[in-house]
Amino acid sequence: MKRSFLTVLIFILCPVLFISARPGDTPKYRKARKKMVDYQIRMRGISNQKILSAMTAVPRHLFVPAELVNQAYDDHPLPIGQGQTISQPYIVALMTENLQIKGDERVLEVGTGSGYQSAILAKVAKEVYTIEIKEKLFEKADKLLQSIGFNNVQIRHGDGYFGWAEAAPFDCIMLTAAIDHIPPPLLKQLKDRGRLILPLGNPFSYQNLSLVTKNKEDYSLRQITGVLFVPMTGHALSPNLSSKTSRKDFP
Amino acid sequence: MIFIAAFLLSLSALTFEVLLTRIFSITQWNHLSFMVISIALFGFAASGTFLNILNTRQKDWGARFTTADWIKAVVILYSVSAIAAFIVLNQLPLDYFRLPLEPVQTLYLLIAYLLLALPFFFTGLIVAVAYAYIPEKTGLVYCASMAGSACGAILPIALLPLFGEGRLVIFTSLIPLIIVFWPEPEPAAKHIATASIFRKKRFVMQASGLGIFMIAGLIILAAGSLIQIKPSPYKAVSQMLQFPDTRITATTAGIRGRIDSVKSPYIRSAPGLSLKYTNTLPSQWVTLKDGDEPFVFYNLLHPAQERFASFTLPYAGYLLAPDPENILLIQHGGGGLSIPCAMAADAAEITIVQEHPQIARLIRDHYRVSVANQHPRTFLARSDKHFRIIHVESWGTSLPGSAALAQEYLFTIEAFTQYLSHLKEDGILIIARKLLLPPADSIRMWATAYESLRSIGIEKTGHHIAMLRNWSTFTLIVSVQPLSDNKVLKEFARNRNFDLVYLQGLASSEANRFNIFEAPFHFLEINRLAEAYRLGAAKDYFKTYPLDVAPQTDSRPFPGRFLKWLQLKALYKITGSRFYSLFMSGEIVIAVVFVEALVVAALLLVLPLITIGKKSSKPSFANILYFLAVGAGFMFIELFFIKKYIFVFGDPVVSFTVVLAGILASSGLGGYWSQRIDPGSLRVALTALIAVLALVFLGLDLLIHRIIGLSIIMRYLIAMLLLVPAGFLAGLPFPLGMRYLLKSPSERAYAWAANGCASVLASIAAAQIALTFGISTIVVCGAAAYLLAFVSVKKIATG
Repeated sequence: MKRSFLTVLIFILCPVLFISARPGDTPKYRKARKKMVDYQIRMRGISNQKILSAMTAVPRHLFVPAELVNQAYDDHPLPIGQGQTISQPYIVALMTENLQIKGDERVLEVGTGSGYQSAILAKVAKEVYTIEIKEKLFEKADKLLQSIGFNNVQIRHGDGYFGWAEAAPFDCIMLTAAIDHIPPPLLKQLKDRGRLILPLGNPFSYQNLSLVTKNKEDYSLRQITGVLFVPMTGHALSPNLSSKTSRKDFP
Repeated sequence: MIFIAAFLLSLSALTFEVLLTRIFSITQWNHLSFMVISIALFGFAASGTFLNILNTRQKDWGARFTTADWIKAVVILYSVSAIAAFIVLNQLPLDYFRLPLEPVQTLYLLIAYLLLALPFFFTGLIVAVAYAYIPEKTGLVYCASMAGSACGAILPIALLPLFGEGRLVIFTSLIPLIIVFWPEPEPAAKHIATASIFRKKRFVMQASGLGIFMIAGLIILAAGSLIQIKPSPYKAVSQMLQFPDTRITATTAGIRGRIDSVKSPYIRSAPGLSLKYTNTLPSQWVTLKDGDEPFVFYNLLHPAQERFASFTLPYAGYLLAPDPENILLIQHGGGGLSIPCAMAADAAEITIVQEHPQIARLIRDHYRVSVANQHPRTFLARSDKHFRIIHVESWGTSLPGSAALAQEYLFTIEAFTQYLSHLKEDGILIIARKLLLPPADSIRMWATAYESLRSIGIEKTGHHIAMLRNWSTFTLIVSVQPLSDNKVLKEFARNRNFDLVYLQGLASSEANRFNIFEAPFHFLEINRLAEAYRLGAAKDYFKTYPLDVAPQTDSRPFPGRFLKWLQLKALYKITGSRFYSLFMSGEIVIAVVFVEALVVAALLLVLPLITIGKKSSKPSFANILYFLAVGAGFMFIELFFIKKYIFVFGDPVVSFTVVLAGILASSGLGGYWSQRIDPGSLRVALTALIAVLALVFLGLDLLIHRIIGLSIIMRYLIAMLLLVPAGFLAGLPFPLGMRYLLKSPSERAYAWAANGCASVLASIAAAQIALTFGISTIVVCGAAAYLLAFVSVKKIATG
């Protein structure tokens, strides 16, 4: 009895301790977030109210390294370790808006990174499946998303190139790393009328943010704007990498 | 001894220069490799400036510097500096593309520049001392230096495949050390003290020489990674090596480029592949030239594996020529897709033209098809065969803009005309390229096809051209007969989710259906150009378009160059206000390097004038002008021939080597002959040189087009012979000027510096002149420079 009580106590306290180690969502951050949404996102033409609300609600500063917290709401991407970055807030909003999510979609994200984009997607979509190749980032994002309470996100450590066949088909797919071609497995996992957004082009130069739409048997591709994303890492192409999935109990 | 030292140092320094060009081509990009010429010449110029400054402090430097001990010490410094500079360059985290973002990169660049200039400085020092202190033998000094350089230009051709770039740099840096072990007569026995000092000095020198040999041996044997040349991280090979289970299976070094073969289960290349293709691609492996321009080999084990090719954009052309009896595939700058396309089309006979010997051999072994190892233009000039399909595949480098300086003869009006003349009556020409936005290459290719069709007398030109695109590539189709069946192309585009860009009677709604831009930019621009051609206003179109998209000719063959300097601001805006996208342009690099060179040249030329005291003799303005003009003139001639001969040999490095060897050897002969000439002949020599350059300007193009169809030996022979008159005469003005126009060693040292500085600036300016006005203009600039030298001499004579 005593032992089980202790176990339960530790289980409850851990996330609390984890969050308390980071700066909380103080009025200072809420103000910065509102300013970010007003000046960086709304003024650039993003008008989807659900996205604007999501970006006002999700504490971005929790997703950046402690030493960069003061820059969390600035108008640029930030490094998050492992050679990866958290995208500029506007690009997060732009990519999300272009997926035209209504609220009952199943979304696949390739490249969890910090987990910030997954959190925004989780606020506007029904189910989010996200894959991260870098183990450390996967573990960090997994803990953080759980601690904040995003129960509609299922996260996996593994290869995003081949998608998530067991959970397919998806209404929307988002690639958050640069690649010079559209992975055919992802096209296969897209529903009819499904949308896939990705930074398409030379991974070591600049790319075009492109939206692929499936229309019965046909695909159309629309280029949105020029972007600069970190490359999809080589290991993302390995089909044999072991994969860990978190929250198997996801409905 | 100083003549032998000048010969050996010139030989080693030029080999070092050629190898640095190769190394820059691998570690950076081709357009940066020309920086090497400026580094070398600055080293030479700096030696002249150094001697001038030294002259103000030590008047007896000449007597000291011509002694054997001093020469040996400089040779040792040369070898050490060459090896050290190379190793430091190889380890330096210099990233050219991070220059605008990281200030520390400027420091790395400066370190690289200064260290690499050191070996050339020491070479220049020996040559400059010889010129300054042995004025009666300037012709011989010139001859030794030029003959050494000519040998140095040839050496890498033979030795690169044996040693590779890194080891060859070390090996050739050691060559001048022979001097250290050169036997010298000991002083007479009665001077025992002198003999003892002599022996001690000899021991120190020889021990140092041996020490350098041993360290070099250790580096090669035990520290191979120090001299391993690593390609730029932005190049395709570096990107591929990030894939798991990926490795380089073979590497071959050569003067025409380093070829790496890469095997990986994750190479998936099919440029222009339809999004409708969702099956697995056949397994592949690639070869890369200098770490880029991947050439893909598909493992096609059974015909079904060729099926993917029918889902690629260039296959549209094959549908217009069903059951082809023969197909010619022209491969250039990466590719490999055209081979499965031709196989999927079930061609009875496939001929492949591949200019790189190593890749040609690999294609022959892999596909068991006929491969001609020639430049495509040479192949066509020598062949009277007609083909049903000619497919030109050239995807280019992995960074747009880096090919701005690339001189290519496959996409000029003359080249297109040659392709069309080798097509059967119902033949099809297919050109497959990368798609750029804002539209640039596609407009240029369309205009080139249009003008070549018009040049062969076709009136309704627009009826003979079609263009399709996906999101990243486009395919241009040209036919001798009008394209009658538009339905085939429209259906292909519809079924494969491609977009049409140009087709007679094409509606705007069909041009932006599947690969959607904000507007059908490519369709709109090409139709605007077609209308401009119809109204006879094409020139106005090319003038007003923000990019240079005018069709290229053999005299200005730069298909990857689009920059218009006057439209730079507009271009910056339409490419998303990104500084780095402009910085990737080779042409911007020329401008940056030119400004840098101008500042350093001014410093090297002004510094001695300030330091020279009032009593010392200063070179007159006319003298300075003369040596500046002669330096620039020589470099213009050299670069003119290098650029012209790329057409003859199909490869810039081969052309570079042939011209350097030919020009330097014949100039060396000129220098030797100059020993017998009196001062009055200087103006005659200059007049003769200007006349020869005028003849070259008028007649070389004609000759080149005639020799292109000859055998390789005849081409080499005639090309070499054509260099002799200009090279020989260009070898006269410098040694004659040194001997007759200048009075003191310090004046001669200054002239050496002026000559070097002018050569640097001319070498950079020549690249921009060729891009803007065409290659032939370079020789006009050369003639103008010698005319200026002529005027300067006249001034001296009368004044």
